[in-house]
Amino acid sequence: MAKIDEQDILKRIQEPRTRRQAFEQIVNVYSRQLYWQIHYLVQNHEDTDDVLQNTFIKAWKGIENFKGDSALFTWLYRIAYNESLTFLKQRRQMASIDDEDFTEQMAPNFVADEYFDGDETQELLMQAVSTLPPKQRRVFCMKYFEDKKYEEISDIVGTSVGALKASYHIAVEKITNFFKSKE
Amino acid sequence: MSTKDNRIFNPNGGRYPFRATDEYFDNLTARIMEQIPEDTPEEEVSEKNTKLIDIHRNRRRNLWISTISVAASLILIATFALKFTPKPNTSPEQAEDMKAEYTTENYNEDLMQYAMVDNMDVYYYLSTSSMSE
Repeated sequence: MAKIDEQDILKRIQEPRTRRQAFEQIVNVYSRQLYWQIHYLVQNHEDTDDVLQNTFIKAWKGIENFKGDSALFTWLYRIAYNESLTFLKQRRQMASIDDEDFTEQMAPNFVADEYFDGDETQELLMQAVSTLPPKQRRVFCMKYFEDKKYEEISDIVGTSVGALKASYHIAVEKITNFFKSKE
Repeated sequence: MSTKDNRIFNPNGGRYPFRATDEYFDNLTARIMEQIPEDTPEEEVSEKNTKLIDIHRNRRRNLWISTISVAASLILIATFALKFTPKPNTSPEQAEDMKAEYTTENYNEDLMQYAMVDNMDVYYYLSTSSMSE
């Protein structure tokens, strides 16, 4: 991932003449990373692409309010997470089924997904992940697939390390039970 | 723990089993920037605020106009009502006298005042109408 000088970006964002160019640099640097963060939650390419675009449109609308109180990626991640939740809620409403049945009935068919690049076990793992609520899902994915430190995840999602550890533990337990139920 | 569990929960974590093409990421920035309006957000926001302020100003102005109109109508109605309503302690005879006092001349004066015309306007009207006849 390309490095970004946040102080320089902040200055250019404050200046209307250079704002668009600075924003383009932000998109260029963070879009790939955000794509995967959104994918962990919505779990397919087309929806991830839609949510990612909405995220950047929202970010552009609010960029003048960004004063650098948090890292730029943290700020973007929080927009992306909220957009993903909104998307999941809409998808659930469109399916017109209650929350409990949602994960079971909407379990994606990963084998049919042309972007899926795994074997049978990995498909089972992704199905197990898809049963987790969003907060547990994001912690599990960041820890398991990216091997991020809890402190790093805490900075991004704004949750305490203790709460993250608990979430991850519960997620692992649920996934283990999911595998047991499939044996 | 089964073989699957051992494989899944290995100490090195796992690979996320999805891919996206390089072509997708190469064009991503350009596609996103196409969705971003040319105007700076600050200009958009100030434009929106101006519109909001205009709406509020218009609403306030309309409210004032309505209030003044209603008040003026009430005063007018009250004036006429007071003139025609006999006082509670007046006898029927006194009321009749008051009615008699309120002659056609008084009525015409009130009417002229209500219609915002003065004697000059009435003379002008009468003279022009008699000329046309």
